[in-house]
Amino acid sequence: MAEELKIGVVSCSGEDCAGGTISRLATRKMIDEIRPDNTVTICLPLFIAGGQEERMFAKEYPTIAVDGCKQACAKRATEKYSGKVNSVVFVSEIIGDEFAESPALSTRDLTTEHQAMVDKVAAEITKQFDEIMNAKGKDSGARKSSSCSCGCDC
Amino acid sequence: MSTNKKVNVIACSGMGKVYGLMAREAVLHTVQRLCPEQAKTLCLAYIVTGDEEALAGFDNQPCITVDGCPAMCSAKSVAAMGGDIKEELKVLDVMKLHKGAKPGTATELTPEGWAITEEIAAKIAERVQEIQKEER
Repeated sequence: MAEELKIGVVSCSGEDCAGGTISRLATRKMIDEIRPDNTVTICLPLFIAGGQEERMFAKEYPTIAVDGCKQACAKRATEKYSGKVNSVVFVSEIIGDEFAESPALSTRDLTTEHQAMVDKVAAEITKQFDEIMNAKGKDSGARKSSSCSCGCDC
Repeated sequence: MSTNKKVNVIACSGMGKVYGLMAREAVLHTVQRLCPEQAKTLCLAYIVTGDEEALAGFDNQPCITVDGCPAMCSAKSVAAMGGDIKEELKVLDVMKLHKGAKPGTATELTPEGWAITEEIAAKIAERVQEIQKEER
């Protein structure tokens, strides 16, 4: 049986701005609710604190970076230590720069407006997630149909 | 009001475990409510990029790292980037004092989780005060 495709969703740490809080929660929503069986994540600093296994993350999984502010740390750090990401969700483009760059929020202080922002960002992650999933599915199908029994790609 | 520069208090990213969320919330509670004049936080992801501007955020000031799991991402990353670590706090050390506690999930804390998080924040705040005294 074919192994189920997993997609990496890597959020910035988001400790210094509200966009980061939204980024983290939208990523958690992918893991907890939206695509729990196909989403994997990693704590970004594990690229430094972890070992070779952690640094293989973006090579092992198609990866979506989710960045809370214009520093784009999730994208840049993933590409610096692990591998190229497939796509990036810029949270500030969805919820606006002004709010994204305001001070970080505690999850205790979340309002229904903040929750709506999380939902919007999660919807964009889902869209990119499904595009990658579909492309990988087609890619895998195309490779299978062109493979001959000798195991080469002829 | 303190005349010293602020102590850097840096949490791990904590995406995968409740203890990571507790680390982050404890740090936010410390820098936003308990000692906003004496402590500030820095985004660990930004530090990890190694950007000069990010590392300038250390401001030659002492750091407290707060980690949710034994991977010690905050302590290791801050050390790797040249931060001056005065204290490495571990959420798991506090959890040992609360055996059987159910703090919640990586997404949401329970009231018990919040209470333990405030206890961690109080420890951080205490170290912030001590470090500021030592630095005078």
